[in-house]
Amino acid sequence: MCFTSNFWNLVVSGLADGFLYALIALGYTLVYGVLQLINFAHSEVFMSGGFASYFVLRAAMGSSTPHGIASVGFVVLGVLAGGTGGALVAFLLERIAYRPLRRRHAPRLAFLISAIGASYFLYNLAGKEFGRNALEIPSPFTNGPVFTIFGAVVQTYYIVIAISAVVMLVLVDRVVAVTKLGKGIRAVAQDAETASLMGVNIDRVISQTFVVGGILGGAAGFLFGLSAGVVFTMGFTPALKAFTAAVLGGIGNIRGAVLGGLLLGIVENLGVACTQASWRDVIAFGILVLVLMIRPTGILGERLGRSA
Amino acid sequence: MSATLPATPPGTQPTAGGQSVANDRKTQFLRLWHNDEARRLFACLVGGVVLALMTGPEGDGISMTSGLSGALLHPRIFAFLGIGAVVWALMTLRRRYGASIRRLNDRVTGAPRRLLPDRRVRAVVLLAILAVAIVYPIYLNSFWQSVLVEQIGVYVLLAIGLNVVVGYAGLLDLGYIAFFAIGAYSDAYWTGALPVHPIFHLNPFWAIPFAIAAAMLAGVLLGTPALRLRGDYLAILTLGFGEIIQIVANNLTGVTGGAQGVINIPHFSIHLFGINYAWGIASLPYYYLLLGFVVIALVAFSFLEHSRVGRAWSAIREDEVAAEASGVSVLKYKVMAFAIGASTSGFAGMIVASQISFVEPGDFTVQLSILILVLVIFGGMGSLAGAVVGAAVLQWLPQYLRVHPLFGFQQQDLYIYLGAILVLMMIFRPVGLIPSKRRKREIGLAEHGVGTADAMSGSSDPVV
Amino acid sequence: MHLGIKRLGVPMAATVLGLTSLAGMATTAAQASSKPTYTIAYEGPLSGGNQQLGLNMKYAVQLAVNQANSGSTFGSLPFKLKFTPADDGGSATQSPTTAQGLIDNKSVVAVVGPAFSGATKAAEPSFAAAHLATVSPSATAPILADEGWKNFFRVVADDNAQGPADATYAVQKLKAKGIYTVDDASSYAVGLVSAFDAKATSLGAKITHQQAPGTTQCQAGTGNVQEYGALATQVQQTHDPVTFYAGYYCDFALFAKALRAAGYTGQLMSDDGSLDPHYVSQAGTSVAAKTVLSCACTNLGNSSADKAFSSGFKKLAGFPVGTYSAEAYDAANTIISTLKKLGNKSISRAALVTALHKAVYPGLTKRVHFLSNGNIAGSTVYEYQVQNGKIVELGPVTQLVG
Repeated sequence: MCFTSNFWNLVVSGLADGFLYALIALGYTLVYGVLQLINFAHSEVFMSGGFASYFVLRAAMGSSTPHGIASVGFVVLGVLAGGTGGALVAFLLERIAYRPLRRRHAPRLAFLISAIGASYFLYNLAGKEFGRNALEIPSPFTNGPVFTIFGAVVQTYYIVIAISAVVMLVLVDRVVAVTKLGKGIRAVAQDAETASLMGVNIDRVISQTFVVGGILGGAAGFLFGLSAGVVFTMGFTPALKAFTAAVLGGIGNIRGAVLGGLLLGIVENLGVACTQASWRDVIAFGILVLVLMIRPTGILGERLGRSA
Repeated sequence: MSATLPATPPGTQPTAGGQSVANDRKTQFLRLWHNDEARRLFACLVGGVVLALMTGPEGDGISMTSGLSGALLHPRIFAFLGIGAVVWALMTLRRRYGASIRRLNDRVTGAPRRLLPDRRVRAVVLLAILAVAIVYPIYLNSFWQSVLVEQIGVYVLLAIGLNVVVGYAGLLDLGYIAFFAIGAYSDAYWTGALPVHPIFHLNPFWAIPFAIAAAMLAGVLLGTPALRLRGDYLAILTLGFGEIIQIVANNLTGVTGGAQGVINIPHFSIHLFGINYAWGIASLPYYYLLLGFVVIALVAFSFLEHSRVGRAWSAIREDEVAAEASGVSVLKYKVMAFAIGASTSGFAGMIVASQISFVEPGDFTVQLSILILVLVIFGGMGSLAGAVVGAAVLQWLPQYLRVHPLFGFQQQDLYIYLGAILVLMMIFRPVGLIPSKRRKREIGLAEHGVGTADAMSGSSDPVV
Repeated sequence: MHLGIKRLGVPMAATVLGLTSLAGMATTAAQASSKPTYTIAYEGPLSGGNQQLGLNMKYAVQLAVNQANSGSTFGSLPFKLKFTPADDGGSATQSPTTAQGLIDNKSVVAVVGPAFSGATKAAEPSFAAAHLATVSPSATAPILADEGWKNFFRVVADDNAQGPADATYAVQKLKAKGIYTVDDASSYAVGLVSAFDAKATSLGAKITHQQAPGTTQCQAGTGNVQEYGALATQVQQTHDPVTFYAGYYCDFALFAKALRAAGYTGQLMSDDGSLDPHYVSQAGTSVAAKTVLSCACTNLGNSSADKAFSSGFKKLAGFPVGTYSAEAYDAANTIISTLKKLGNKSISRAALVTALHKAVYPGLTKRVHFLSNGNIAGSTVYEYQVQNGKIVELGPVTQLVG
C-alpha cells in the first residue's frame, strides 16, 4: 500500500487533526441536539477563539520564550482565552441570530440563512478590524520532536493538542452525563415541549449549550492557530470538515462527534499519502457520501438524549 | 428612582442598610433588564455601536485596537448612538400608535390588499415591465449594460432556477454553482476549447442542449441518492459536491485545463436560414438572449408551480410524511425539482462561458452558491417575482455603491453589509421582499406550530 | 418596516432601473478645467478572500498618483491626475463588468491591473477593443502575452522566466539530485512549477511533485492548513535535499513550519510570491533561516527612494508594504512618466498605448521596459536568502551559477 512506509507518522498527524475536528464537531453536535439545527456560524466561533487567544497571549507573553511550567501555564491561558472568546461570540450569536427566530417558530431554513448571514458579517468584520494577514500566536512552547512511537515522530504540538482536547472532551462528556445542565440539555434534546412542562427553562438551556459549544470551538481555534496563525477566514475549511466529522459519527451524538473527528483526521492523512494532497477534500467528502448512503444516521447513530 | 427604594429608615443599622441597598441595586437592574422597552433601547444602542464599527476605519493589522478605537473612541460614536436611539423611538412610536396609523392609512388611501388584483391588470403590468426591459437598456452606457448582463441577468436566471429547488420543493442546495460549472465546461468541451476534444465540434448554440443535459444528468445522479436523506444532510452533501467539482476541475489539468482555466471559448453565433449574426464582446446582444431565456423560464416555472407538480411540491414542503402517505411520490418530485434547478444553473454557466469566453475553476466557490441562495431568500422564497427582484436589487446595489460610495462606503466592506442584511431580513421579514402567497401562509402556519414550511426535516415536529 | 417594504413590490424594479440610468449619466459627466485631468485606475480584488493582495496594490497606485500630483516624484506636471480603484473580486466572471466600467469612464487613460491572470484573460478583450492600456503588476500567466493584445503590459516576469532559473539554481548551484516540488494549485503556481520541473528534469534532477491547494488561511483557497503536516511527512521520507514551493508567502510559511517540525533539514526554496517579510515573521526566524527565494526583480533595499515608498505607503494604507506593492507602484509611475513625456497635448488612450511600448522607467523593482508583446524586458531572475531574519539579495542566477 502507498502509506505503509510511514503509516504511523500519518496516523499521529491524523490524530492531531482529528482532535481538533472533534472539538469543533462537538459544537455542532450539541447545538444540533437541542435545536435540530446546523449552526452554520460555528466557523466564526472558532475564529473568534483564535483571535481572543492571540491578543491575550501576545499581551501576556510579550517576547518571552517560556519553558517548563510557564509553558503549561501559557497553554492553559490560551485555551481559556480562546474558550472565553468563542463562548462570548456563541452566546451573542444565539441571542441575535437565533432567539428572535425561535420565538417566532420560523422555518428551519430561516435559521440556516440567519446563521450564514451572521457568519459573513462576523468574519468580514474581523478582517476589517484586525487586518487580513495571518497573525502569529506567540508560541508558549518550542515545537519539535519529543519521542517516537512505532517509528512515528511525535511533536510537542501534537501532545499539547491531544492533552488539551482529551481533558476538554472528558469534561464535556461528564458535564452532559452528570450535571443539572447536562440533564437539561438531554431533556431538551429528547423532547423540548415535555421538558418545558417539567420546568426546564428551555431558553437558558439553549443559551448554555451554545456557550459550552463555544468554549470548545474557541479553544480549538487557539490550538489550530498555534501552528497556522489566526486570520479572518480561518474558520471556513476546518468548520466544514468538523461538520462532516459530526455527521460521520452521528450528529447529535457526543461520542460520535469525537469518533467521527478522529476517523476523518486519520483517513485524510492516509489519503494524502496515496494521492495528491489536492484530492484530500474529495476523499473526505467521498467518505461522507458513502457513510450517508449506507448508514444515514452516522456511525454511532443520532440522538443526544440517548447516547450520553 | 427614590420611589422604588424600600422605606428603610435612614441611620439605623448602617451595615444591613448598605447590604440592602446593594441588593436593591441588583433588583433594580434586573427590573430594568426585564423591562421590554429598556431592553429594546439597549439593543438599539448596541446596534448603533455595531454600525459605528461597520462604517469605521480599518484596523492596521498590528495593534488589536486601532480599528476599534478609531471607530468607537471618536466623537462619531455619539452620532451612531443617536441613530440607535432614534430607531428605538420610532419603533416605540410605531408599536404604540402603529395600529391606529395603519387604520388611518387604510381609510385615507384605501390601500389595496393585493398588489395586482385583476388578471387583466396583471397582464398589462407584466407586458409593460417587459417593454421597459426591452427598450430601456439601449439607453444605458456600456458599463450598466454589462452589469445588466453579467451581474444581474445571469444571476436572475440562477435565482429563478434555485427558487425551484429551495422555494418550491423546500430543499437546501448549497452546491448549486457546481452545475453552473458543469454547464460552462460542457460548453467549452463541445466547442472544442478544452484540451480533450469532442467527437464533433458544435456552435455554442447547438451546445446548449448538451450542456443542459449534462447539468441535469449530474443533478439526477447526485439527487437520487442524496434526496433520500434528510434536509440537513442534503445541504452538506451538496456543499461537498460543489467543493468536489471545483477540485476536480482544478486538478484534472489534462481534461479541464486545470487551474489556468480554459481560454478562447467561442461566442454565440447564428448561421441559419440566411441569417448570419455573431455575438461579440458587447453586452447588449447577450442581454436580449438572456432576457428571452429568462422569460421562457419564468413562464415555464410559473406554469409548473400551478400544475400538479407544483401542488405536489407544496404538499412535500408542508408535510412530507403526509404527502407520502397520500400517495405523492416524494422522491420523484424532489429529484425533479433538483434536476430543473441544476439544468437552469448549467444553462447560465454556458451563457457566461460563451460570453466572457473564459472559464476557471476558481470562480465556482461555495460562497457563490451561498450568494445565489441569498438572492432567492432576499426576494422571497417560492416567489418568481421575488427571485427576479431580489437578484436584481442585490446584484445592482453593490455595483451602484462601487460607483457612488455613499457615506464613505468601502468596497472591501461589502460582505459585512450583506451579512447584516441577511440576519435582519430573517428577524424582521423572513418571507422576503415579495413573498409568495402560499409560502407566506405556510410560514404563518409554521409560526403557529402547524407544518414545517420547508422540506428540511422528515417529520413535522415543529422546531422548539 | 412591514408597511414600508410591502408597498415596494414591483415598483422596486422600476426604481432600480431608474437609479441605474441616473448612475449612468453621472459617470459620463466629464470635467473641464484649465489643466487636463487624467485618471489612472486600479483593477484587482478589493473584496473577497484575496482582498489583502488587492489592497497591497491599490494603495501603492494611489500613493504614486498622490505623489505625482504633489510634484514630489515628477516635478510639476502639465496635467492633474485622479485615481480610481475598481474591484473585480479577483474573479474572471466579475472582471469584464469592472473593465467595462473603467472603459466607460472617459477620463481613464490607463489601468494598473488586472491583478490576476484569470481576471486578465476575461477582461483583456474589452480593454483591447477600447485601446485602453493595462499594466499588470502581478498577472504572470505566460499565455497572456500570446494573445496579440497590443494594450497589454506587465511589470512582472512571467512564469516561464522564473521557474527555469530557479531550477538551474537548485541543480547547478545547490547540487540537488532530488527535488521535492509543491504547488498551491493556483494558476500562478501551476505554471511556475511545471516550468521548474521541466528544466530541473532536463538538468538531470529527480523530481517528486505534490499539489497542496492554497488555504483559506491565506487566500480564497480551498485547502486545509492541516494538510501540511501529512505533506511534510511525505517530504521527510524522500530525504530530497531541496524542497521548492510555488505559491504565496503565507502558505509557504505554514508549510515551512510543518517541514521543520517533522524534522526535515533540507534547503527550502520558493518564488516571488513568497518574497515578502511576512514569510519570515509568520514562519519564525529559525524556521525561515537560509530559505532561498527568487524574483525577477530587485528587492526593496535601503535606498532613499525605497524608504520613501515604504513610509509613504504605511502612512497612506495604515499597514506596511506587502506582496506586489512595489510592482504596482512601478506600474503606476511608468504610466505617469509616459504621460509626462507625451506632455501638453491632449493624450488619447491609443497614443498612450503606443508610447508605453517605448517607455523606459527606472523603477524600484527593476528597470521597466516592455517587449512588443507586453512582457517586461530583461527578465533577470535574482535569488535572495533569509539571513538573520532579513531577506538578503544573493545576486542574479546567471552569475551565481556561472
